[in-house]
Amino acid sequence: MESASVAVGQAEPHEHHGPPEAHQSSRIDRQTLGILLFIVTEAMLFGAFFASYFFLRVVSNEGPWPPEGFELPVAVAGVNTAILISSSFTVHWALEATRKGNRRGMQMGLMTTWLLGSTFLFIQINEYIHIGFSGRDGAFGSIFYGLTGLHGAHVLVGLLLLSFANIRAWRGHFGPKAKDHLGVEVPGIYWHFVDVMWIIVFTVVYIL
Amino acid sequence: MLALTVVGSVVLVQFDWFGDAASEEAPPIDTLFDVMVVLSTFVFSIVMVMFGYAIWKFRARPGDESDGAPIHGNTKLEIAWTVIPTIIVLFGAGYSWIVLDDIEARADDAMPLKVTAQQFKWTFEYPEADGLRSDELHVPVDRQLDVQLEALDVVHSFWVPEWRIKRDLVPAGEGGDEIDDEFVVTPNEEGTFSLVCTELCGLGHTTMRATVVVESQEEFDQWLDDQAQAEAGAGGGSSAAGGT
Amino acid sequence: MAVAIKQPGLARGALGFIVGSAFGFGLVVALRAISGLEIFQTEQTGYPHLVVPAITGPLGFLVGLGAFDYWFRWAAGRPTIPEDHSQHGAKSWRDYFKFNTDHKVIGIQYIVTTFFFFLVGGLIAMLIRAELAQPGTQIVDPGVYNGLFSTHAAIMIFVFVIPVFAGIANYVLPLMIGAPDMAFPRLNALSFWMLPIAGILFLSSFLVPGGAFDAGWTGYAPLSTGAPLGQSFFNLGVQFAGASSVATALNFLVTIVTMRAPGMTFWRMPLLVWANLSTSLLVVAATPFIAGVQFMVLFDRVLHTNFFQAAFGGDVLSYQHIFWFYSHPAVYIMMLPGFGIISEVISTHARKPIFGYRLMALALIGIVVLSYTVWAHHMFVSGMFAWLRVPMMITTLLIAVPTGIKIFSWLATLFNSVLHLRSTAMLFALGFVTTFTIGGISGVMLGMVPIDIHVSDTYFIVAHIHFVLFGGSVFTIFAGIYHWFPKMTGRMYDEKLGRVHFYLTLVGMLGTFIPMHWVGMEGMPRRVADYAAQFGDWNLMISISSFLLGIAQLVFLYNMIVSWKWGPRATANPWRAKTIEWQVSSPPPIFNFDEIPRVVGGPYEFGVPGARHAIMGGEEAEVRKPEPAVVGAAGGGGGGSPGERGGP
Ligand code: HEA
Ligand code: HEA
Ligand code: CUA
Ligand SMILES: [Cu+2]
Repeated sequence: MESASVAVGQAEPHEHHGPPEAHQSSRIDRQTLGILLFIVTEAMLFGAFFASYFFLRVVSNEGPWPPEGFELPVAVAGVNTAILISSSFTVHWALEATRKGNRRGMQMGLMTTWLLGSTFLFIQINEYIHIGFSGRDGAFGSIFYGLTGLHGAHVLVGLLLLSFANIRAWRGHFGPKAKDHLGVEVPGIYWHFVDVMWIIVFTVVYIL
Repeated sequence: MLALTVVGSVVLVQFDWFGDAASEEAPPIDTLFDVMVVLSTFVFSIVMVMFGYAIWKFRARPGDESDGAPIHGNTKLEIAWTVIPTIIVLFGAGYSWIVLDDIEARADDAMPLKVTAQQFKWTFEYPEADGLRSDELHVPVDRQLDVQLEALDVVHSFWVPEWRIKRDLVPAGEGGDEIDDEFVVTPNEEGTFSLVCTELCGLGHTTMRATVVVESQEEFDQWLDDQAQAEAGAGGGSSAAGGT
Repeated sequence: MAVAIKQPGLARGALGFIVGSAFGFGLVVALRAISGLEIFQTEQTGYPHLVVPAITGPLGFLVGLGAFDYWFRWAAGRPTIPEDHSQHGAKSWRDYFKFNTDHKVIGIQYIVTTFFFFLVGGLIAMLIRAELAQPGTQIVDPGVYNGLFSTHAAIMIFVFVIPVFAGIANYVLPLMIGAPDMAFPRLNALSFWMLPIAGILFLSSFLVPGGAFDAGWTGYAPLSTGAPLGQSFFNLGVQFAGASSVATALNFLVTIVTMRAPGMTFWRMPLLVWANLSTSLLVVAATPFIAGVQFMVLFDRVLHTNFFQAAFGGDVLSYQHIFWFYSHPAVYIMMLPGFGIISEVISTHARKPIFGYRLMALALIGIVVLSYTVWAHHMFVSGMFAWLRVPMMITTLLIAVPTGIKIFSWLATLFNSVLHLRSTAMLFALGFVTTFTIGGISGVMLGMVPIDIHVSDTYFIVAHIHFVLFGGSVFTIFAGIYHWFPKMTGRMYDEKLGRVHFYLTLVGMLGTFIPMHWVGMEGMPRRVADYAAQFGDWNLMISISSFLLGIAQLVFLYNMIVSWKWGPRATANPWRAKTIEWQVSSPPPIFNFDEIPRVVGGPYEFGVPGARHAIMGGEEAEVRKPEPAVVGAAGGGGGGSPGERGGP
């Protein structure tokens, strides 16, 4: 089995003269640390929009929140939340299967995750179409679309990463060794982040 | 080193940093500044004297290829230059806080004044004179002004250099409460000054000025009467404000 | 031509740009047609059919350039081409115009590109000073003037100071920690290529209807949300520069954490590495805030949302809070790498270990932590919550403490040293200590609310900015460039011209920026094209000094170009420094090391008998050889510095 791991930084082992292998000075692996730091920046990007949300809602808003005339479909979004959360479990399942060398399980896990994610996005877009207000309708409209749209964009990126993982899973990549399943693990970490972020966005925007 | 500090501070304090002062808020701010100039000169002189001494004393003679003394640190010194600056800045913070409270204290007999800014024009409104409006600011001397600010389009800023006080005017929506749009200032020197917009507000920012006249109470009352008359003569409305 | 288009490279990049722009344009037209909107919205700020191509065009360029070739293959699950190192090293100058993954090539690309933008930004500053030489408006009208200082600052900050530090560190940091390259070489190359895009976006705003963006580098809403099209180019340029800087920071962090040579514990890292570690922490956590807030401005402008439109419930001050939550840390992003450079330069050219090494490292971390807690000191007069002023004042003033630790430790390092005063790098380091202390102390004064109420938004601020940014950051940049010039180019620069550059710059800089304190306090606001006649004399003097400052930079330019081409060859270690980058040849071999070195001691063990920082691969004996050789050949740095005899 070919093992093309996430070769972002790592040269493949080869014959001719190349750079010496870098000394591994930390137990954490490069790709994992990279994605974790990337998630920190992403969380801060959400932080900027949450800061805006706070100012709009708490500081400069006088009346009720959401303001008169705005109604959020909490039930639909709740179902959608459940869909997204379950996809966190399926991606974990895929990773476990990979670790155990269960090829079928890995493929199914990744596929289900991808489908659940797409369903989430589809319902979200549907919600936008039927919600009855746009980003131009007051500050509430702006920040609602700002936060949920930012999250939606992240779902899209996550789906893209998962698509790569899917394609490669079907092509027979990945294996139980730690080095060989980074291609499942890294998108998985990102996907968990997307899910956790949604729980926060959902709680703040729809429930609180 | 001490001598240098003293000389430096004396020279720097003599210097007329701020230009004229014309409000009751100015002296405490100027004093705070002078104290800080002395302290800063002190700090800066220490740095510079050490620096000059080191350069003069330890500069390498041509061809000297040796290394310096392998000194890695000295805990006592390091503690000293952590603690002393901390004390200095905390002193500065405490002093500034006192001055801040002082210059923001409100008097009971303050005269309300409403200031409106828009691209690129100032309007002043006198609630005590039935909302009379003008685009020149006239105020009586030695009476605290309770200034209320409003911006119609973008952010502007109110500054009369001689008064030392500055505050941005921020456009606010209905809610509006969240913006701190009030301040007090007590002009105590008669004369004509210039009100400068100090927040970039667009093409006309450079020229967004207004004339400020501080005059005795009698002159001020007289001016209010004249304005009211002119307004009535011109058919009332807001023509005095030139706002059409 | 056809061949050129198939190969990754600039030609294919240009094609990618055209295709990308056309795609963006078509997308907007199609979407607007479908949703029944007027196809070309040219309301004052909108122009989606120009703004969207300004995003997709550059992305197309990157694709064409070959930035994603590898990742496309990988994503599609096709076998990735085994690294053949064709993207490593540079054999001719042409290789610098390619998508190259070698950190040394990328470092040079960064430095040359950013210095180009420095000259552009400086030229704009010259225009500013020409206009301000006399009261009244002579050269440009106030509208154009607003565009000038906005682009001046945006270029200097986003495409000069911040990335040039990334460039210097890119070159020397992997060498210093004994790594063969950065952790993610392709990401590294991508980071670099986003930089010219940002700079070109800033500059091309001069060409669009309405002129260059003119809301200041701070771009306060709602002035920026209502400004002409050029402002969108600022929003986008900041996104590209920001993405570049986040990606680099991430790369540095991973490199520093996972790729240090054996034996290099955290407490044995050179302070430059510590400085970049702290800077990267700031970048990773703060830069997304400016990205977020510029997105919101862009949405308000193009999609007509209401984030900052007070009349529709938006919050004007939230812009300033979010902006400064990034931009205050940003000023330390522009200073901490410089602190690192100064530590290297001072210890090497004073031949002494850095005094209080650990406290120096901890001070950096202290600054990182504190700098997240002070943003509102830019808003003391903004009408924000009044209660926030005093807490922010206290944290602001406390930042003087860790910064002071650094200044005093450098001074202590100079005591009992052997100070090589004639090397230009050292001159700039010493100049930095002076001018930065002045700028820092004026910052402390600004931190005191009552003083700031008076001087905020006056030339006093402009003076502070340039003392910390020019006397601070730019001086450290010059020190770093001179210090590592032999390593990067393999040639020595002319020390005599270097000294001329230094003294002219110092005099020009003091003459330009000291009087600004006075005119500011006496009542001259910043960001004005015209001013009261009473400030005329000072401004004339400021302008004349600034031209001197400009000419001084021409000396630098000449020295660098000529020495790079014809300077005498540099030895591996002309300064007899201890850190690892000096133990390899100048310029370093293509893969840095044959074998990863082993670190056995601190980085600055000058004067400690027998102490070593690192043992290079291979024979131990081989390491000892270069040292006496250098002393003999180049005359060391003593008195007559090595470069002196050469020159053009
Ligand atoms: C490299 C960039 C840089 C750096 C390092 C700093 C450093 C500091 N800055 Fe500065 N600042 C800017 C860049 C920078 N600044 C810019 C660009 C702006 C304007 C933005 C705009 O509006 O366009 C600005 C504006 C600005 C303001 C807002 C002014 C206003 O708009 O009204 C304030 C207010 O507090 C401030 C404070 C400080 C302080 C306290 C420090 C401190 O970190 C300084 C600490 C250093 C020292 C104090 C010197 C060394 C210390 C000692 C020798 C120890 C002993 C000292 C004492 C006991 C005093 N700065
Ligand atoms: C790193 C940042 C940096 C650097 C290096 C500089 C460098 C300079 N700056 Fe800048 N400046 C800022 C950051 C910086 N500035 C910022 C953030 C602002 C605030 C903007 C705002 O309000 O939004 C500002 C604003 C600002 C103003 C105030 C504008 C206003 O408020 O109205 C002025 C005015 O004098 C000024 C002047 C200069 C000068 C003379 C230099 C000189 O040091 C430049 C020297 C360099 C060169 C000259 C280039 C090299 C030479 C050549 C290319 C040859 C040509 C030479 C000749 C024709 C003689 N700057
Ligand atoms: Cu109004 Cu500047
Ligand atoms: Cu700041």
